[in-house]
Amino acid sequence: MNGILIAMTLALLIPIYEAWQDEDIWQTMLAFASIATKTSIMILVVSVLRDDWMIGLVGVLILSVGNASLMLLAHVLRRMNEL
Amino acid sequence: MFEDFYIVVIAVLLPLTAGMLVAQRNPYHALVIRGIVGAVAALVYALFGAADVALTEALVGTMLSITLYAIAVRSSMSLRLGLLAAAPCNPDEPASQEPPLAQPLSKALRQALSRHYLRLEIVPYASPQALQFALEKKEIHATCTAVTETLTPTTAQSTASAPYHLSVRLPRLLEIVQNGVPPTLASVSFCRSRQITAANISDSPDARHNIWESQP
Repeated sequence: MNGILIAMTLALLIPIYEAWQDEDIWQTMLAFASIATKTSIMILVVSVLRDDWMIGLVGVLILSVGNASLMLLAHVLRRMNEL
Repeated sequence: MFEDFYIVVIAVLLPLTAGMLVAQRNPYHALVIRGIVGAVAALVYALFGAADVALTEALVGTMLSITLYAIAVRSSMSLRLGLLAAAPCNPDEPASQEPPLAQPLSKALRQALSRHYLRLEIVPYASPQALQFALEKKEIHATCTAVTETLTPTTAQSTASAPYHLSVRLPRLLEIVQNGVPPTLASVSFCRSRQITAANISDSPDARHNIWESQP
């Protein structure tokens, strides 16, 4: 459990570095998409390892909601660039 | 202690991303990083067993707040520049929605504004009176007028050193525009908006006419 989650945290550090580093807004959005998916997968892994269905349900909801917020934000940013 | 080491590692991510958010200067980048902080916070809350708090953070803190803030930032961080609409004296050119603004001036203005993460929003007006009235009513932040409206374009370019005149209503915007626009492209001046009385605010054409006439 410890090793799996620490490896996932290290993988999570890659898009965090990318979001901190990059100047392009779309690269930051890609990093956001990656982080939103990775964190919800980590929640699902924790729920399976702890055998906790409540956390698992929340993980699934966050997985879908994170992508929805990404899409809304991408539309607003795209329309800003068109003006 | 060592069995729960992963909790410490994941919890450290929250101040790390929050520090990134505080250090960010571009408001749009800061919004996206706020989404990242929300995702990491939801992970930490779920890890500590607070599933309801994690769900609320993801729904409200991430989705709703960054969408609303994106719209707020987008509509507030812009300079509204009033222009005279294209005069119908040149029937050969096709009628375009975009009023004429010299290409180098527009480019210099956009560059100066993008350094401060502002957008340039061009608002066309039909007459100089309407343009001045909009500036008085704080509908626009600045006006851009050709210095010699009556002359033909060729003589205007040959005689005047600055073909356009920018009149800015706000001191901070004046500073930004003065630093960004070279004086050969446009002259910049500060236009202190006068106190408009309640009688003058009404939109009737008579009131508009009075405001225009009372100017020195």
